[in-house]
Amino acid sequence: MSVKSYRDAINECLHQEMERDQTVIVLGEDVVGGSGTEGGKEAIGGVFSLTAGLWGKFGDNRVIDTPISESAIVGAAAGAALAGLRPVAEIMFTDFLGLCLDQIYNQAAKFKYMFGGKAKTPMVVRMTTGAGMSAAAQHSQTNYAWVTNIPGVKSIVPSTPYDAKGLLASAIRGEDPVVFFENKLLYMLKGEVPDEPYTIPLGKGVLTRQGKDATIVAFSRMVHLANTVADKLAAEGITCDVIDPRTTSPLDEEMILESVSQTGRLIVVDESNPRCSLASDIAGLVASKAFEYLDAPIKLVTPPHTPVPFAPNLEQAYLPNPDKIEKAVRQALEGI
Amino acid sequence: MAGKIIPIAMPKWGMEMIEGQITKWNKDEGEAVSPGEELIDIETDKMTNVYEAEFSGVLRRRIGMEGETYPVGQLIGVVADESVPDAEIEDFVRQYVGGSAANSQAAPTSSAAGEPAGYARAPNPEIVLQTSAAPARLGAAEVEAQIVKLGMEISPIAARVAMDEGVDLTGVGATGRLGRISLEDVAHRAGRPVGARKDRKLISPRARKFAREKGIDPATLQGSGAEGRVLAADIASLGSSGVAGAFEIVRMSPMRKAIARQLSLSKSTIPHFYLRAQVCVDALLALREQTRRLEGQAFSVNDYLIRACALALRQVPDVNIQVHGDEIRRFAHADIAVAVATEKGLLTPIIRAAETKSVAAISREMRSLAESARAGSLKSEDYQGGSFSLSNLGMFGIDQFDAIVNPPQGAILAVGAARRKPVEANFALSFATVVELSLSCDHRAIDGAVGARFMAALRTLIEDPETLTRAA
Amino acid sequence: MQLNRDQLEKAYRLMKTIREFEERLHIEIAKGEIPGFTHLYSGQEACAVGVCENLTDKDYVVSTHRGHGHCIAKGVDVPGMMKEIYGKSGGICGGKGGSMHIADLGKGMLGANGIVGGGPPIAVGAAIAARNKGDGGVAVAFGGDGSCNQGTVFEAMNLAVVLKVPAIFVFENNGYSEHTGVAYAVGSGDVAARAAAFGMPAIKADGSDFFSVYEATREAVERARSGGGPTTLELAICRFYGHVEGDPQRYRGKGEVQRLRENLDCLKHFRARVTEAGLLSNAQLDKLDTEVLDLIENSVQGARSAPPPAVETALADVYNAY
Repeated sequence: MSVKSYRDAINECLHQEMERDQTVIVLGEDVVGGSGTEGGKEAIGGVFSLTAGLWGKFGDNRVIDTPISESAIVGAAAGAALAGLRPVAEIMFTDFLGLCLDQIYNQAAKFKYMFGGKAKTPMVVRMTTGAGMSAAAQHSQTNYAWVTNIPGVKSIVPSTPYDAKGLLASAIRGEDPVVFFENKLLYMLKGEVPDEPYTIPLGKGVLTRQGKDATIVAFSRMVHLANTVADKLAAEGITCDVIDPRTTSPLDEEMILESVSQTGRLIVVDESNPRCSLASDIAGLVASKAFEYLDAPIKLVTPPHTPVPFAPNLEQAYLPNPDKIEKAVRQALEGI
Repeated sequence: MAGKIIPIAMPKWGMEMIEGQITKWNKDEGEAVSPGEELIDIETDKMTNVYEAEFSGVLRRRIGMEGETYPVGQLIGVVADESVPDAEIEDFVRQYVGGSAANSQAAPTSSAAGEPAGYARAPNPEIVLQTSAAPARLGAAEVEAQIVKLGMEISPIAARVAMDEGVDLTGVGATGRLGRISLEDVAHRAGRPVGARKDRKLISPRARKFAREKGIDPATLQGSGAEGRVLAADIASLGSSGVAGAFEIVRMSPMRKAIARQLSLSKSTIPHFYLRAQVCVDALLALREQTRRLEGQAFSVNDYLIRACALALRQVPDVNIQVHGDEIRRFAHADIAVAVATEKGLLTPIIRAAETKSVAAISREMRSLAESARAGSLKSEDYQGGSFSLSNLGMFGIDQFDAIVNPPQGAILAVGAARRKPVEANFALSFATVVELSLSCDHRAIDGAVGARFMAALRTLIEDPETLTRAA
Repeated sequence: MQLNRDQLEKAYRLMKTIREFEERLHIEIAKGEIPGFTHLYSGQEACAVGVCENLTDKDYVVSTHRGHGHCIAKGVDVPGMMKEIYGKSGGICGGKGGSMHIADLGKGMLGANGIVGGGPPIAVGAAIAARNKGDGGVAVAFGGDGSCNQGTVFEAMNLAVVLKVPAIFVFENNGYSEHTGVAYAVGSGDVAARAAAFGMPAIKADGSDFFSVYEATREAVERARSGGGPTTLELAICRFYGHVEGDPQRYRGKGEVQRLRENLDCLKHFRARVTEAGLLSNAQLDKLDTEVLDLIENSVQGARSAPPPAVETALADVYNAY
């Protein structure tokens, strides 16, 4: 066990999984970096350094730099998976999902079903999400709701280094296509992570705080904001269950429903745009399955229905923050 | 008697009892119990009674909870010697299977031999029971130890609730997500609702809004929605401005529930019709007065009416019946159920073969039965059966009313207050003391003419009461 | 090149099977018993068979929406295919996929594909897997003059060259992408020429001549197997039917299909060639014809009488584990 950053935990997972299984390969833009340049290979290990050191250990056949061709990258990952490999494709920003969406949702997600159960597509597509760095509208999104909606593919949204390493290992070792949504603002987050390989089953959330007055469900970086709010309110004697589902598909519906059945109040914090989002999905889930238990309207803390603005003050106004979360919790307590 | 474990199961008092409500435990866990001591107060839909211990030992487990209802034969407590280890008690409780425990072959370890006899002990083997009885409460630390062992395999919320409520998780089934023990599994293991919302009142969001606007606490209301949910309509039906806490909830007792069930069934399935007659009771009152003066016995008008009904039934036996589906049972004797109002509700003790009893005998019996009824000590044979019913609300000043037939009987007579009324006699106006009678009949078995003949016979008997005092 | 008698018989049998399969479907579809969209391959048989006769079960093939021919040429079970197209249980994909999604991974057939241009990136991935396995396997992506303009195809071609993987891009240029002529849709007018822009060799061949296709493919397969990287093949061919069954084909010239069936029928060409060269006799070929017709007839009857898939199967095989 040692303290590692979210980035290092993922990197360590890739190293260990590639060590463990020869069929695991990594492909993407600049995953090695420096291909075809004077600086030579491995001048950089991924734009965010998630794949550092892999090429040196595992070589050309297993750590593959690609041109900027998202649809070919993910399509090739799907094909390689069908043919027996376990590819981990890196797509630099989740905002590029549009460029490779067909390969995920029409191809990889549907092979097993369309082919009568006889195919398996054990591919992982890693993507980076998150606003708060002034990366502007096309480099700051969090569109895991789109992937969650697709039957046949799974969606992971880890919020801590420990979760990132364990969930990525499960994704790589599993037989289903997975999209793994990292958060660029969490790469530096440090936490305790076991040194040895381990897995975390998909579809089980965690309670990061426990309480009886309200249930806060949050994703990715928002989990940490929710924890901050829960701690602040606890000092006043208001206690909250904070649930980090960790995976949006499969979703730990049971944990959410159980918690709401005890607290009667739900607040969902989601950095994605609100229409057809995880926030609205979970609100719908609770309203239809835990209706009896609600003492207050469900509160959704999300950005508005706009693209992510560039100017730092605008971006901050756009994003959920602890004040907005706290306000929502207090409103829920008042039943309004 | 070391090592002997004695199960306490919900007793069966009378053939019809299927369940009982524990109103009060008179001993705590750990207290000594000796024969004859009153252990548990239990209420059924007919009566309240006390479960007396017929054994000695220590009350080791109180499994049944006050206020809760359990079927006959269900394990509600365990008495054993102090020296019996807890683990053995746990095993016993877990393996206890309702009625079969009383049958020695299937009995768990130590209870079979020497089990005391007596009607309170024998559970009805026809009742199907849970195969594992509700577990006893554990300390939070014990549950926590169980949870630590379970690790990821229990939902954290289920874990928290299990610890808060001391639910023993040994042998709990895991039906939650990916084989996890869920909150529902914990509730199932505990055999009761658990957690923060177990007594929750269901209130619709719209009702909540209206209630807030009116300044009412919706939790105090009776809901008309599914499972008692308070709906917006319930708030709307309250008067203007609505006062906070205007209503209190009164839970129906088992007896109330039984009455509700029985009479709803009657009114909705039996085609009632009503025959009304105004009878003159001057002669009857005179007779009563005379009897009082001469024999020193004060009979009530009702006592005479019971006898009158009995004799009338003998004359028109087609009214002395019970209806069972397609079958009409015509009884040889007039078993007349007489309505007695008690604090807890309406009871109907029966005067059996009333036609064979004198007014004096009827009067004596009525007095004793009414007392028992009010004291809640009627035995089942006192109120089960009956071929006819009589209900008198005259003492409350009611002029006339129509009663509801008490199935499976075919008819019921409702009696109003005696009143001085102007009547025509010999082409002149005069006053007489009259009583309004109303006979409610089940038209499936009794036709108008038959009922009318009964009423005519009854009138004759009442207005010419000498016949009442003749021997049967 | 010399193909022995068995190989020639096999080639003819496969082409004939494809032809009769599609011709029969054309009739059955008109009866209304077959659900969904079907795209028939009649006329292009020599392309599928000419290519696939160079491949084994360890080689991969990715196809298009017009995939029956590629499936049959790659050895997928014909009665199973018919059941799949009819949407019955016992179909190759259990009735879950239908005409556009027939696949048989055991035979290296990675699926027909309903998305134009969906196949080539998958083939590149399969080629990466083959290279890593080191068993000399190759991956063939079939496409048309329609798909050759899709961005995914350009990306796949470039990626195959960059990674130098054993992929082969076969473009069956039948002159029409849906209802638009190739003269309009392909800006440069030359599909194969694009390969050079990506840095890969290209070969053009007459798609109606089995031997021409076979030879061209052999060259590409040898290059791929020996680590020489990808090749593009452009096969000039025609399709006898519309884009999809139900297409009234108003974009065709008058009498065009009639002429094509007379002059560009690859089965006729093959028969003429092998009988003239004395490699096979008409009698032998006729015997194969009869066997094929029996197979098709049995397949149709089998499909008609098979039960529909059990309703519960609709929920199965979404995930391996959820």
